[in-house]
Amino acid sequence: MADPLLDVDDVHQSYGDEQVLEGITFEMERQDVKVLVGPSGSGKSTMLRCVNRLTDIDDGDIRLDGESVYDMDADDLRRQVGMVFQDFNLFAHLTAIENVTLGLKRVLGLSEREATEKAAWQLEQVGLREQANSYPAELSGGQKQRVGIARALAMDPKLMLFDEPTSALDPELIGEVLEVMRELADEGMTMLVVTHEMGFAKQAATDVLFLDDGKLVEQGPPEQLFENPENERTAAFLSRLTQLHGGQ
Amino acid sequence: MSRNTQTVVRNGILTVFWAWFGARLLNDWFGGVVVPVGQPFFDPQPVADAAAALRDSAAGLGAVGAPLDVAGDVLGSASFAMTYLPDLAAGAWLTVVLTTLGIAFGVVLAVPLAAARVYGRVTRWVSLAFIELIRGTPLLAQLFVLYYALPLSRWIAAVPFVGTSVVPAQAVWVAIVGFTINSAAYQAEYIRGSIEGVDPGQLTAARAIGLSQIQGIRYVVLPQALRFAIPSWTNELVYLVKYSSLASFITVAELYHAAEAAAYDNYRFLDLFLLAAVVYVLLVLSATTTMEWVRKRVAIPGVGGSAGGRTSAD
Repeated sequence: MADPLLDVDDVHQSYGDEQVLEGITFEMERQDVKVLVGPSGSGKSTMLRCVNRLTDIDDGDIRLDGESVYDMDADDLRRQVGMVFQDFNLFAHLTAIENVTLGLKRVLGLSEREATEKAAWQLEQVGLREQANSYPAELSGGQKQRVGIARALAMDPKLMLFDEPTSALDPELIGEVLEVMRELADEGMTMLVVTHEMGFAKQAATDVLFLDDGKLVEQGPPEQLFENPENERTAAFLSRLTQLHGGQ
Repeated sequence: MSRNTQTVVRNGILTVFWAWFGARLLNDWFGGVVVPVGQPFFDPQPVADAAAALRDSAAGLGAVGAPLDVAGDVLGSASFAMTYLPDLAAGAWLTVVLTTLGIAFGVVLAVPLAAARVYGRVTRWVSLAFIELIRGTPLLAQLFVLYYALPLSRWIAAVPFVGTSVVPAQAVWVAIVGFTINSAAYQAEYIRGSIEGVDPGQLTAARAIGLSQIQGIRYVVLPQALRFAIPSWTNELVYLVKYSSLASFITVAELYHAAEAAAYDNYRFLDLFLLAAVVYVLLVLSATTTMEWVRKRVAIPGVGGSAGGRTSAD
Protein backbone atom coordinates (compact mmCIF):
# COMPACT_ATOMS: atom_id res chain seq x y z
CA MET A 1 0.00 0.00 0.00
CA ALA A 2 1.18 3.49 -0.83
CA ASP A 3 2.46 5.76 1.92
CA PRO A 4 -0.05 8.17 3.41
CA LEU A 5 0.35 11.69 2.10
CA LEU A 6 1.07 13.01 5.56
CA ASP A 7 2.29 10.89 8.42
CA VAL A 8 2.62 12.67 11.75
CA ASP A 9 4.45 10.26 14.00
CA ASP A 10 4.72 10.83 17.75
CA VAL A 11 5.60 14.51 17.44
CA HIS A 12 6.93 16.33 20.48
CA GLN A 13 7.60 20.04 20.53
CA SER A 14 8.36 22.54 23.25
CA TYR A 15 9.12 26.22 23.71
CA GLY A 16 11.71 26.37 26.46
CA ASP A 17 10.36 24.35 29.37
CA GLU A 18 6.81 24.36 28.12
CA GLN A 19 5.67 21.24 26.31
CA VAL A 20 3.44 22.31 23.44
CA LEU A 21 2.96 19.01 21.64
CA GLU A 22 3.25 15.73 23.51
CA GLY A 23 3.24 12.79 21.17
CA ILE A 24 0.84 13.67 18.37
CA THR A 25 0.23 10.88 15.87
CA PHE A 26 -2.11 10.87 12.89
CA GLU A 27 -2.10 10.17 9.18
CA MET A 28 -3.72 11.82 6.21
CA GLU A 29 -4.56 10.06 2.96
CA ARG A 30 -4.85 11.98 -0.28
CA GLN A 31 -8.08 14.02 -0.44
CA ASP A 32 -8.57 13.84 3.31
CA VAL A 33 -9.85 16.95 5.03
CA LYS A 34 -8.91 16.90 8.69
CA VAL A 35 -10.05 19.56 11.09
CA LEU A 36 -8.01 20.27 14.21
CA VAL A 37 -10.03 21.66 17.09
CA GLY A 38 -9.16 22.40 20.66
CA PRO A 39 -8.98 25.15 23.26
CA SER A 40 -6.59 28.01 22.63
CA GLY A 41 -3.07 27.06 23.61
CA SER A 42 -3.71 23.40 22.88
CA GLY A 43 -1.01 23.33 20.18
CA LYS A 44 -3.14 23.30 17.00
CA SER A 45 -1.34 26.11 15.23
CA THR A 46 2.03 24.80 16.35
CA MET A 47 1.09 21.42 14.88
CA LEU A 48 0.43 23.06 11.50
CA ARG A 49 3.66 25.03 11.58
CA CYS A 50 5.61 21.86 12.28
CA VAL A 51 4.31 20.30 9.06
CA ASN A 52 5.99 22.90 6.83
CA ARG A 53 8.88 23.39 9.27
CA LEU A 54 8.10 26.95 10.22
CA THR A 55 8.60 25.40 13.66
CA ASP A 56 11.04 22.58 14.38
CA ILE A 57 10.01 19.52 16.37
CA ASP A 58 11.98 18.05 19.27
CA ASP A 59 11.16 14.43 18.76
CA GLY A 60 9.19 12.14 16.47
CA ASP A 61 8.91 12.54 12.72
CA ILE A 62 6.68 14.04 10.04
CA ARG A 63 6.67 12.41 6.62
CA LEU A 64 5.24 13.83 3.44
CA ASP A 65 4.68 11.17 0.79
CA GLY A 66 6.85 8.78 2.79
CA GLU A 67 9.83 11.12 3.08
CA SER A 68 10.75 12.77 6.35
CA VAL A 69 10.33 16.53 6.06
CA TYR A 70 13.69 16.82 7.81
CA ASP A 71 15.35 15.00 4.90
CA MET A 72 13.90 17.54 2.50
CA ASP A 73 15.10 21.03 1.66
CA ALA A 74 12.86 23.32 3.69
CA ASP A 75 12.08 25.59 0.73
CA ASP A 76 11.26 22.58 -1.43
CA LEU A 77 8.96 21.23 1.30
CA ARG A 78 7.15 24.54 1.63
CA ARG A 79 6.66 24.71 -2.12
CA GLN A 80 4.68 21.47 -1.83
CA VAL A 81 2.66 22.51 1.22
CA GLY A 82 0.44 25.58 0.96
CA MET A 83 -0.37 27.61 4.02
CA VAL A 84 -3.15 30.07 4.79
CA PHE A 85 -2.79 32.35 7.81
CA GLN A 86 -5.20 33.76 10.33
CA ASP A 87 -3.92 37.31 9.67
CA PHE A 88 -3.78 36.73 5.88
CA ASN A 89 -0.17 37.97 5.70
CA LEU A 90 -0.67 39.20 2.16
CA PHE A 91 2.40 41.00 0.85
CA ALA A 92 1.28 44.52 1.59
CA HIS A 93 3.22 46.21 -1.21
CA LEU A 94 1.93 43.92 -3.96
CA THR A 95 -1.43 43.82 -5.72
CA ALA A 96 -3.61 40.74 -5.39
CA ILE A 97 -2.27 39.27 -8.61
CA GLU A 98 1.34 40.14 -7.75
CA ASN A 99 0.87 38.35 -4.42
CA VAL A 100 0.11 35.23 -6.42
CA THR A 101 2.75 35.64 -9.12
CA LEU A 102 5.68 36.25 -6.74
CA GLY A 103 6.05 32.59 -5.81
CA LEU A 104 5.28 31.42 -9.33
CA LYS A 105 8.11 33.55 -10.70
CA ARG A 106 10.69 33.31 -7.94
CA VAL A 107 10.08 29.79 -6.67
CA LEU A 108 8.70 27.89 -9.65
CA GLY A 109 10.60 29.94 -12.22
CA LEU A 110 7.62 30.72 -14.45
CA SER A 111 7.93 33.57 -16.94
CA GLU A 112 6.10 36.81 -16.26
CA ARG A 113 3.44 35.91 -18.81
CA GLU A 114 2.90 32.32 -17.60
CA ALA A 115 2.78 33.47 -13.99
CA THR A 116 0.28 36.22 -14.73
CA GLU A 117 -1.97 33.85 -16.69
CA LYS A 118 -1.92 31.26 -13.96
CA ALA A 119 -2.46 33.82 -11.20
CA ALA A 120 -5.38 35.39 -13.07
CA TRP A 121 -6.99 31.97 -13.41
CA GLN A 122 -6.40 31.21 -9.75
CA LEU A 123 -7.91 34.51 -8.64
CA GLU A 124 -10.91 33.83 -10.84
CA GLN A 125 -11.34 30.47 -9.06
CA VAL A 126 -11.73 32.28 -5.75
CA GLY A 127 -14.03 34.89 -7.30
CA LEU A 128 -11.60 37.82 -7.35
CA ARG A 129 -11.05 38.51 -11.03
CA GLU A 130 -12.18 42.11 -10.57
CA GLN A 131 -9.82 42.73 -7.66
CA ALA A 132 -6.64 41.43 -9.35
CA ASN A 133 -5.02 44.86 -9.39
CA SER A 134 -6.13 45.99 -5.94
CA TYR A 135 -3.66 46.31 -3.10
CA PRO A 136 -4.37 44.38 0.13
CA ALA A 137 -5.31 47.60 1.94
CA GLU A 138 -8.10 48.08 -0.62
CA LEU A 139 -9.63 44.64 -0.04
CA SER A 140 -12.08 43.44 2.58
CA GLY A 141 -10.96 40.79 5.05
CA GLY A 142 -12.77 38.04 3.18
CA GLN A 143 -11.23 39.12 -0.11
CA LYS A 144 -7.79 39.23 1.49
CA GLN A 145 -8.15 35.70 2.76
CA ARG A 146 -9.31 34.48 -0.64
CA VAL A 147 -6.18 36.03 -2.16
CA GLY A 148 -4.21 34.23 0.54
CA ILE A 149 -5.81 30.95 -0.52
CA ALA A 150 -5.17 31.68 -4.21
CA ARG A 151 -1.53 32.51 -3.45
CA ALA A 152 -1.05 29.14 -1.75
CA LEU A 153 -3.03 27.15 -4.34
CA ALA A 154 -1.18 28.62 -7.30
CA MET A 155 1.93 26.72 -6.20
CA ASP A 156 0.05 23.44 -6.86
CA PRO A 157 0.59 22.12 -3.33
CA LYS A 158 0.04 18.49 -2.36
CA LEU A 159 -1.37 19.58 0.95
CA MET A 160 -2.98 22.78 2.21
CA LEU A 161 -2.68 23.99 5.78
CA PHE A 162 -5.27 26.45 7.10
CA ASP A 163 -4.44 28.20 10.36
CA GLU A 164 -7.74 29.63 11.67
CA PRO A 165 -8.50 31.16 8.28
CA THR A 166 -11.71 32.85 9.40
CA SER A 167 -10.86 33.89 12.96
CA ALA A 168 -9.83 37.43 12.03
CA LEU A 169 -12.91 38.04 9.87
CA ASP A 170 -16.10 39.90 10.60
CA PRO A 171 -18.95 37.37 10.86
CA GLU A 172 -20.56 38.42 7.57
CA LEU A 173 -17.31 37.76 5.69
CA ILE A 174 -16.69 34.25 7.01
CA GLY A 175 -19.10 32.59 4.59
CA GLU A 176 -17.28 33.56 1.40
CA VAL A 177 -14.02 32.08 2.69
CA LEU A 178 -15.62 28.86 3.91
CA GLU A 179 -17.35 28.55 0.55
CA VAL A 180 -13.99 28.60 -1.24
CA MET A 181 -12.63 26.04 1.22
CA ARG A 182 -15.62 23.75 0.72
CA GLU A 183 -15.19 23.90 -3.05
CA LEU A 184 -11.55 23.07 -2.61
CA ALA A 185 -12.43 20.07 -0.45
CA ASP A 186 -14.96 18.91 -3.08
CA GLU A 187 -12.26 19.12 -5.75
CA GLY A 188 -10.19 16.66 -3.74
CA MET A 189 -7.55 18.87 -2.17
CA THR A 190 -5.94 17.36 0.91
CA MET A 191 -6.48 19.86 3.71
CA LEU A 192 -5.44 20.16 7.34
CA VAL A 193 -7.54 22.88 8.91
CA VAL A 194 -7.45 24.56 12.30
CA THR A 195 -10.83 26.21 12.77
CA HIS A 196 -13.66 26.82 15.17
CA GLU A 197 -16.20 26.69 12.36
CA MET A 198 -18.08 23.53 13.29
CA GLY A 199 -20.44 23.89 10.34
CA PHE A 200 -17.46 23.49 8.04
CA ALA A 201 -16.18 20.53 10.07
CA LYS A 202 -19.52 18.76 9.86
CA GLN A 203 -19.95 19.30 6.14
CA ALA A 204 -16.45 18.99 4.75
CA ALA A 205 -14.23 17.12 7.18
CA THR A 206 -13.37 13.46 6.78
CA ASP A 207 -12.07 13.52 10.34
CA VAL A 208 -12.07 15.83 13.30
CA LEU A 209 -9.09 15.78 15.66
CA PHE A 210 -9.52 17.13 19.16
CA LEU A 211 -6.34 18.47 20.73
CA ASP A 212 -6.10 19.46 24.35
CA ASP A 213 -2.99 20.47 26.26
CA GLY A 214 -0.66 19.21 23.55
CA LYS A 215 -2.25 15.80 23.32
CA LEU A 216 -4.50 14.30 20.69
CA VAL A 217 -7.47 13.39 22.87
CA GLU A 218 -9.73 11.91 20.25
CA GLN A 219 -10.14 11.68 16.48
CA GLY A 220 -12.80 10.34 14.19
CA PRO A 221 -15.40 11.25 11.57
CA PRO A 222 -17.40 14.35 12.50
CA GLU A 223 -20.66 12.46 13.10
CA GLN A 224 -18.92 10.25 15.63
CA LEU A 225 -17.16 13.08 17.47
CA PHE A 226 -20.15 15.37 17.52
CA GLU A 227 -22.74 12.74 18.42
CA ASN A 228 -20.90 10.00 20.29
CA PRO A 229 -17.64 11.34 21.62
CA GLU A 230 -15.75 8.83 23.72
CA ASN A 231 -14.09 11.40 25.86
CA GLU A 232 -15.84 13.73 28.26
CA ARG A 233 -13.59 16.68 27.46
CA THR A 234 -14.27 16.26 23.74
CA ALA A 235 -17.98 16.26 24.40
CA ALA A 236 -17.87 19.36 26.57
CA PHE A 237 -15.63 21.32 24.20
CA LEU A 238 -17.47 20.42 21.02
CA SER A 239 -20.88 21.20 22.40
CA ARG A 240 -19.69 24.59 23.57
CA LEU A 241 -18.06 25.26 20.21
CA THR A 242 -21.13 24.16 18.30
CA GLN A 243 -23.23 26.63 20.26
CA LEU A 244 -20.81 29.44 19.41
CA HIS A 245 -19.78 28.58 15.87
CA GLY A 246 -22.36 26.09 14.67
CA GLY A 247 -23.64 28.07 11.73
CA GLN A 248 -22.88 27.90 8.02
CA MET B 1 -1.25 80.10 3.57
CA SER B 2 -3.06 77.13 2.09
CA ARG B 3 -1.17 73.99 1.16
CA ASN B 4 -1.69 74.78 -2.47
CA THR B 5 -0.25 78.28 -2.20
CA GLN B 6 2.73 76.87 -0.33
CA THR B 7 3.39 74.41 -3.13
CA VAL B 8 3.14 77.12 -5.76
CA VAL B 9 5.47 79.45 -3.87
CA ARG B 10 7.96 76.66 -3.18
CA ASN B 11 7.95 75.44 -6.76
CA GLY B 12 8.31 79.02 -8.00
CA ILE B 13 11.35 79.65 -5.82
CA LEU B 14 12.93 76.35 -6.80
CA THR B 15 12.29 76.93 -10.51
CA VAL B 16 14.01 80.31 -10.40
CA PHE B 17 16.91 78.91 -8.38
CA TRP B 18 17.51 75.89 -10.61
CA ALA B 19 17.09 77.91 -13.80
CA TRP B 20 19.82 80.23 -12.60
CA PHE B 21 21.95 77.41 -11.17
CA GLY B 22 21.70 75.29 -14.31
CA ALA B 23 22.42 78.21 -16.64
CA ARG B 24 25.33 79.30 -14.46
CA LEU B 25 26.94 75.85 -14.42
CA LEU B 26 26.49 75.23 -18.14
CA ASN B 27 27.81 78.67 -18.98
CA ASP B 28 30.92 78.15 -16.85
CA TRP B 29 31.55 74.52 -17.83
CA PHE B 30 31.52 75.36 -21.51
CA GLY B 31 33.96 78.21 -21.06
CA GLY B 32 31.54 81.14 -20.92
CA VAL B 33 28.77 80.64 -23.47
CA VAL B 34 26.63 83.65 -22.60
CA VAL B 35 28.83 85.68 -20.27
CA PRO B 36 32.52 85.14 -19.35
CA VAL B 37 33.19 82.42 -16.74
CA GLY B 38 32.39 83.64 -13.24
CA GLN B 39 30.81 86.92 -14.43
CA PRO B 40 27.21 87.72 -13.42
CA PHE B 41 24.50 87.26 -16.06
CA PHE B 42 23.19 90.77 -15.32
CA ASP B 43 25.45 93.67 -14.47
CA PRO B 44 24.96 94.44 -10.74
CA GLN B 45 26.35 97.99 -11.14
CA PRO B 46 23.01 99.71 -12.02
CA VAL B 47 21.43 98.02 -8.99
CA ALA B 48 24.27 99.19 -6.77
CA ASP B 49 23.92 102.71 -8.18
CA ALA B 50 20.17 102.69 -7.54
CA ALA B 51 20.82 101.51 -3.96
CA ALA B 52 23.29 104.33 -3.41
CA ALA B 53 20.87 106.89 -4.88
CA LEU B 54 18.03 105.70 -2.59
CA ARG B 55 20.25 105.88 0.47
CA ASP B 56 21.37 109.39 -0.50
CA SER B 57 17.83 110.69 -0.90
CA ALA B 58 16.82 108.96 2.37
CA ALA B 59 19.60 110.79 4.19
CA GLY B 60 18.21 114.12 2.89
CA LEU B 61 14.68 113.34 4.18
CA GLY B 62 15.55 112.57 7.81
CA ALA B 63 13.14 110.26 9.74
CA VAL B 64 10.58 110.24 6.89
CA GLY B 65 13.18 108.68 4.59
CA ALA B 66 13.47 105.44 6.63
CA PRO B 67 11.47 103.31 4.11
CA LEU B 68 13.70 104.56 1.30
CA ASP B 69 16.71 103.62 3.37
CA VAL B 70 15.38 100.06 3.80
CA ALA B 71 14.69 99.83 0.06
CA GLY B 72 18.24 101.00 -0.54
CA ASP B 73 19.56 98.23 1.76
CA VAL B 74 17.50 95.61 -0.07
CA LEU B 75 18.85 96.74 -3.44
CA GLY B 76 22.33 96.86 -1.95
CA SER B 77 22.00 93.25 -0.81
CA ALA B 78 20.67 92.30 -4.24
CA SER B 79 23.63 93.82 -6.01
CA PHE B 80 25.96 92.08 -3.53
CA ALA B 81 24.24 88.74 -4.23
CA MET B 82 24.39 89.31 -7.99
CA THR B 83 28.11 90.05 -7.73
CA TYR B 84 29.14 87.08 -5.59
CA LEU B 85 26.63 84.32 -6.41
CA PRO B 86 28.67 83.30 -9.48
CA ASP B 87 31.60 82.60 -7.13
CA LEU B 88 29.40 80.26 -5.05
CA ALA B 89 27.87 78.32 -7.95
CA ALA B 90 30.76 75.90 -8.52
CA GLY B 91 30.94 75.29 -4.76
CA ALA B 92 27.21 74.66 -4.56
CA TRP B 93 27.56 72.16 -7.40
CA LEU B 94 30.23 70.25 -5.47
CA THR B 95 27.95 70.27 -2.42
CA VAL B 96 25.22 68.70 -4.57
CA VAL B 97 27.66 66.09 -5.92
CA LEU B 98 29.05 65.19 -2.48
CA THR B 99 25.59 64.91 -0.96
CA THR B 100 23.86 62.92 -3.67
CA LEU B 101 26.74 60.51 -4.27
CA GLY B 102 27.32 60.13 -0.52
CA ILE B 103 23.70 59.23 0.13
CA ALA B 104 23.35 57.07 -3.00
CA PHE B 105 26.50 55.00 -2.41
CA GLY B 106 25.67 55.08 1.29
CA VAL B 107 22.35 53.32 0.81
CA VAL B 108 24.01 50.60 -1.26
CA LEU B 109 26.15 49.80 1.79
CA ALA B 110 23.41 50.51 4.31
CA VAL B 111 20.91 47.91 3.05
CA PRO B 112 23.20 44.88 3.58
CA LEU B 113 24.43 46.38 6.87
CA ALA B 114 20.86 46.75 8.10
CA ALA B 115 19.86 43.28 6.90
CA ALA B 116 22.91 41.81 8.63
CA ARG B 117 21.99 43.65 11.81
CA VAL B 118 18.49 42.15 11.82
CA TYR B 119 18.99 38.70 10.30
CA GLY B 120 22.70 37.93 10.56
CA ARG B 121 24.54 35.78 13.08
CA VAL B 122 28.25 36.60 12.84
CA THR B 123 27.59 39.41 10.37
CA ARG B 124 25.28 41.03 12.93
CA TRP B 125 28.28 41.78 15.14
CA VAL B 126 30.47 42.90 12.26
CA SER B 127 27.74 45.27 11.15
CA LEU B 128 27.11 46.53 14.68
CA ALA B 129 30.84 47.18 15.24
CA PHE B 130 31.08 49.15 11.99
CA ILE B 131 27.98 51.20 12.72
CA GLU B 132 29.01 52.05 16.28
CA LEU B 133 32.56 52.93 15.24
CA ILE B 134 31.36 55.29 12.52
CA ARG B 135 28.56 56.84 14.53
CA GLY B 136 30.80 57.11 17.55
CA THR B 137 33.53 59.16 15.92
CA PRO B 138 33.32 62.67 14.42
CA LEU B 139 32.82 62.93 10.69
CA LEU B 140 35.66 65.43 10.52
CA ALA B 141 38.05 62.95 12.14
CA GLN B 142 36.94 60.31 9.63
CA LEU B 143 37.67 62.68 6.74
CA PHE B 144 41.10 63.50 8.18
CA VAL B 145 41.96 59.81 8.53
CA LEU B 146 40.85 59.12 4.97
CA TYR B 147 42.64 62.12 3.51
CA TYR B 148 45.82 62.47 5.55
CA ALA B 149 46.43 59.08 7.18
CA LEU B 150 45.54 56.67 4.39
CA PRO B 151 47.10 56.51 0.93
CA LEU B 152 43.57 56.76 -0.46
CA SER B 153 44.06 60.04 -2.27
CA ARG B 154 47.22 58.75 -3.95
CA TRP B 155 45.33 55.72 -5.25
CA ILE B 156 42.50 57.89 -6.47
CA ALA B 157 44.88 60.34 -8.10
CA ALA B 158 46.30 57.42 -10.11
CA VAL B 159 42.89 56.73 -11.65
CA PRO B 160 42.63 58.16 -15.19
CA PHE B 161 40.67 61.40 -15.74
CA VAL B 162 40.47 62.28 -12.02
CA GLY B 163 40.67 66.02 -11.72
CA THR B 164 40.37 66.66 -15.47
CA SER B 165 37.44 68.35 -17.17
CA VAL B 166 34.22 67.86 -15.15
CA VAL B 167 35.58 64.86 -13.20
CA PRO B 168 36.33 66.11 -9.66
CA ALA B 169 39.85 66.04 -8.19
CA GLN B 170 40.97 63.36 -5.72
CA ALA B 171 40.05 65.26 -2.55
CA VAL B 172 36.42 65.29 -3.72
CA TRP B 173 36.51 61.54 -4.17
CA VAL B 174 38.02 61.07 -0.72
CA ALA B 175 35.19 63.19 0.66
CA ILE B 176 32.63 61.09 -1.26
CA VAL B 177 34.16 57.94 0.24
CA GLY B 178 33.97 59.54 3.68
CA PHE B 179 30.36 60.64 3.33
CA THR B 180 29.42 57.27 1.89
CA ILE B 181 30.87 55.41 4.87
CA ASN B 182 29.45 57.84 7.39
CA SER B 183 26.04 58.05 5.83
CA ALA B 184 25.90 54.26 5.41
CA ALA B 185 26.19 53.82 9.18
CA TYR B 186 23.35 56.24 9.90
CA GLN B 187 21.16 54.99 7.07
CA ALA B 188 21.73 51.40 8.17
CA GLU B 189 20.16 52.27 11.51
CA TYR B 190 17.19 53.98 9.85
CA ILE B 191 16.66 51.00 7.57
CA ARG B 192 17.09 48.53 10.44
CA GLY B 193 14.28 50.35 12.22
CA SER B 194 12.09 50.12 9.13
CA ILE B 195 12.88 46.43 8.63
CA GLU B 196 11.85 45.78 12.21
CA GLY B 197 8.68 47.76 11.53
CA VAL B 198 7.60 45.31 8.84
CA ASP B 199 5.16 42.73 10.23
CA PRO B 200 7.15 39.48 10.82
CA GLY B 201 4.19 37.63 9.27
CA GLN B 202 5.29 39.02 5.91
CA LEU B 203 8.55 37.07 5.98
CA THR B 204 6.78 34.00 7.37
CA ALA B 205 4.34 34.11 4.47
CA ALA B 206 7.23 34.50 2.02
CA ARG B 207 8.98 31.48 3.52
CA ALA B 208 5.71 29.53 3.49
CA ILE B 209 5.44 29.71 -0.31
CA GLY B 210 9.00 28.45 -0.64
CA LEU B 211 11.02 31.65 -1.01
CA SER B 212 14.43 31.49 0.66
CA GLN B 213 15.19 33.90 3.46
CA ILE B 214 17.28 36.09 1.15
CA GLN B 215 14.48 36.12 -1.43
CA GLY B 216 11.93 36.92 1.26
CA ILE B 217 14.02 39.86 2.43
CA ARG B 218 14.69 41.00 -1.12
CA TYR B 219 11.18 40.73 -2.56
CA VAL B 220 8.93 41.15 0.47
CA VAL B 221 10.60 42.86 3.44
CA LEU B 222 12.86 45.44 1.78
CA PRO B 223 10.31 46.89 -0.68
CA GLN B 224 8.17 47.74 2.34
CA ALA B 225 10.99 48.72 4.70
CA LEU B 226 12.57 51.11 2.19
CA ARG B 227 9.25 52.87 1.78
CA PHE B 228 8.96 53.22 5.56
CA ALA B 229 12.50 54.66 5.58
CA ILE B 230 11.79 57.58 3.23
CA PRO B 231 11.06 60.17 5.96
CA SER B 232 14.26 59.36 7.87
CA TRP B 233 16.10 59.28 4.58
CA THR B 234 14.95 62.81 3.86
CA ASN B 235 16.33 63.78 7.23
CA GLU B 236 19.68 62.19 6.46
CA LEU B 237 19.83 63.99 3.13
CA VAL B 238 19.08 67.37 4.72
CA TYR B 239 21.73 66.70 7.33
CA LEU B 240 24.30 65.69 4.75
CA VAL B 241 23.72 68.80 2.60
CA LYS B 242 25.00 70.89 5.50
CA TYR B 243 27.58 68.45 6.88
CA SER B 244 29.19 68.24 3.47
CA SER B 245 30.74 71.61 4.41
CA LEU B 246 33.24 69.61 6.50
CA ALA B 247 34.81 68.56 3.21
CA SER B 248 36.31 72.06 3.05
CA PHE B 249 38.73 70.92 5.78
CA ILE B 250 40.25 68.45 3.34
CA THR B 251 40.58 71.12 0.64
CA VAL B 252 37.34 70.44 -1.24
CA ALA B 253 36.04 73.70 -2.72
CA GLU B 254 32.39 73.13 -1.85
CA LEU B 255 29.87 75.83 -1.00
CA TYR B 256 31.20 76.82 2.42
CA HIS B 257 34.76 76.81 1.12
CA ALA B 258 33.74 78.97 -1.87
CA ALA B 259 32.04 81.51 0.40
CA GLU B 260 35.10 81.67 2.62
CA ALA B 261 37.44 82.06 -0.35
CA ALA B 262 35.33 84.91 -1.77
CA ALA B 263 35.29 86.59 1.65
CA TYR B 264 39.07 86.64 1.78
CA ASP B 265 38.94 88.91 -1.28
CA ASN B 266 36.65 91.53 0.22
CA TYR B 267 36.51 90.78 3.98
CA ARG B 268 32.72 90.73 3.96
CA PHE B 269 32.60 87.36 5.78
CA LEU B 270 29.19 87.77 7.38
CA ASP B 271 27.57 88.85 4.10
CA LEU B 272 29.08 85.97 2.18
CA PHE B 273 28.19 83.35 4.79
CA LEU B 274 24.62 84.67 4.83
CA LEU B 275 24.55 84.38 1.05
CA ALA B 276 25.89 80.82 1.34
CA ALA B 277 23.22 80.11 3.96
CA VAL B 278 20.53 81.17 1.48
CA VAL B 279 21.98 78.75 -1.07
CA TYR B 280 22.04 75.98 1.57
CA VAL B 281 18.37 76.64 2.33
CA LEU B 282 17.54 76.39 -1.38
CA LEU B 283 19.50 73.14 -1.69
CA VAL B 284 17.76 71.67 1.35
CA LEU B 285 14.39 72.77 -0.04
CA SER B 286 15.30 71.04 -3.31
CA ALA B 287 16.23 67.89 -1.38
CA THR B 288 13.01 67.74 0.63
CA THR B 289 10.90 68.51 -2.43
CA THR B 290 12.61 65.73 -4.39
CA MET B 291 12.13 63.24 -1.55
CA GLU B 292 8.48 64.22 -1.21
CA TRP B 293 8.07 63.58 -4.93
CA VAL B 294 9.79 60.19 -4.56
CA ARG B 295 7.59 59.31 -1.59
CA LYS B 296 4.42 60.04 -3.57
CA ARG B 297 5.81 58.30 -6.62
CA VAL B 298 6.44 54.98 -4.83
CA ALA B 299 3.48 55.19 -2.43
CA ILE B 300 1.31 52.12 -2.11
CA PRO B 301 -2.00 52.14 -0.26
CA GLY B 302 -1.52 50.64 3.17
CA VAL B 303 2.29 50.73 3.13
CA GLY B 304 4.07 53.50 4.99
CA GLY B 305 1.29 55.33 6.80
CA SER B 306 -0.94 57.83 5.01
CA ALA B 307 0.92 57.51 1.72
CA GLY B 308 -1.37 57.05 -1.24
CA GLY B 309 -4.44 58.38 0.50
CA ARG B 310 -6.67 55.45 -0.21
CA THR B 311 -7.92 53.48 2.77
CA SER B 312 -8.93 49.95 3.60
CA ALA B 313 -12.25 48.68 2.34
CA ASP B 314 -12.84 46.86 5.65
